[in-house]
Amino acid sequence: MSEGIKITPVNRGKRPAFFDDPAIDQLMAIVMAMSAEMSVLYDRVDTIERLLDTKGTLSRDDIEAYRPDQGVEDERNGRRNDYISRLFRIIREERETLVAHDKMDEYNALMDELAKS
Amino acid sequence: MTPQAKHGLSVEPTHDEYALQTYVSALRMYTLQEIGSGLRGVYESRVKPDFEQDKGRAPKDEHEVRRAMMADPYCRTWSSMMRSAQEMIWDSVIPSIERAQPELNARANPAPGTNTKGSLTLDPSIEVPRYVTASDIHLMPGSYYTERAENDVSQGALYDRGVYVYAGGHGGPYCDTIGRSLTKYLKIRFPDFAPAKVLDVGCTVAQNTVPFAQEYPDAEVHAIDVSAPVLRYAHGRAESLGEALHLHQMDAEAMAFEDNSFDLVASTITFHETSRTAMRNILKECHRVLKPGGLMIHMELPRTADMDPFDAFYIDWDAYYNNEPFYQAFTSTNMKEVITGAGFADDEYVEVTMPDYYSVPEDEFHAAAIKADQRPHRKGRMGEGIHWTGWGAWKKG
Repeated sequence: MSEGIKITPVNRGKRPAFFDDPAIDQLMAIVMAMSAEMSVLYDRVDTIERLLDTKGTLSRDDIEAYRPDQGVEDERNGRRNDYISRLFRIIREERETLVAHDKMDEYNALMDELAKS
Repeated sequence: MTPQAKHGLSVEPTHDEYALQTYVSALRMYTLQEIGSGLRGVYESRVKPDFEQDKGRAPKDEHEVRRAMMADPYCRTWSSMMRSAQEMIWDSVIPSIERAQPELNARANPAPGTNTKGSLTLDPSIEVPRYVTASDIHLMPGSYYTERAENDVSQGALYDRGVYVYAGGHGGPYCDTIGRSLTKYLKIRFPDFAPAKVLDVGCTVAQNTVPFAQEYPDAEVHAIDVSAPVLRYAHGRAESLGEALHLHQMDAEAMAFEDNSFDLVASTITFHETSRTAMRNILKECHRVLKPGGLMIHMELPRTADMDPFDAFYIDWDAYYNNEPFYQAFTSTNMKEVITGAGFADDEYVEVTMPDYYSVPEDEFHAAAIKADQRPHRKGRMGEGIHWTGWGAWKKG
């Protein structure tokens, strides 16, 4: 049996800079990663609360072993989406003014209608 | 993200790794769908009017749209977020794979003499083509072919879980939606077509190959790929699911199969990751190994030539920013021309668009399959009411 492996988390190919200042791309990546860490922490707190609700006590192993069932996962997904929506509010706000110009919904409605006819 | 179905090579994430994977999946979907839904408005309300004012005409193709869109702050933010979300997918999966290996390698490689339903034939002389090694496709560190230990399967495991996080479960619990959609379509549309021998070209971990064995239980199902780590993983995965797949390490440009070997030659999203030259060579090989009267069909992305320049820009974004170097070349290819160029008759050409099997009710899929809908659909990414397009031809009997 072989020893453990290390997968270097970089990929071959130049990373594009989307902004004129590449530091903005870096900051965006950091914000995205931070948002993820906060969500992981929230799930962990949620697990602790649920275990305390049902058992009244818990161990570290209980937390590690806990897996959300579909109902809990749906609840968490709803919370995650609300959280993302709050976090990226500034972008969502601009999107609200942009979708008025979006013909995609109109196009899809028309295509669905044609497909059914 | 709905739970991924377990199989014998599933890697168990820790509590926090699982929380991270589900979040990254949600974040990517939000960026794609919610923030991405503003892009058309960006184009219509300011990018296109500015371009028209400057040039006195509308952008003529996707390249002009791309250059103008990528100068817009909203599109830059969306792009930066999409890029990061894609990188975060792999970051969220890597630690669990590192931990699971080498135990995973031992599980994937059955001891010599073990009875298996299918088979695995590796050929170390196969050289991984340049079109696979040139860049790490969809930013997966190590791409399909990197081997980190003896008999390694880690890239297969990374791909299996990463693609699931990417699709957010939209590909079905086994992430087999393309193979499933195709086989369901074929059974509805051609009920008398019962292939005895099937070949899947460029199978990776064979998620989409398994449906061929399940939907055509009497068929002998073969699949090829150039990469050993994904094939080892594919073999272990299929065996644990009780499905007999015959997997071969083989270059699709020069297959080792005899002429007229298969009744059905198929692939699922393989061609957009090959070069133009390779595509033509592979299609010739598909024609050669296909039996007269047999069907070749390749499931792929929608053709951007049928779209307006904005939609083509949107679909082809991945080519430029998600390490899909051949994506744009593929989506702009005239498939009928290359397929007839590979030896198939003009009047035997087949092109179909079908809804995603898991995204619509059974009766709606059935109705769409019966109609053999050829309408090109402009949506092209997982989680967006996706349609699949199939290109191919019957070989003259």
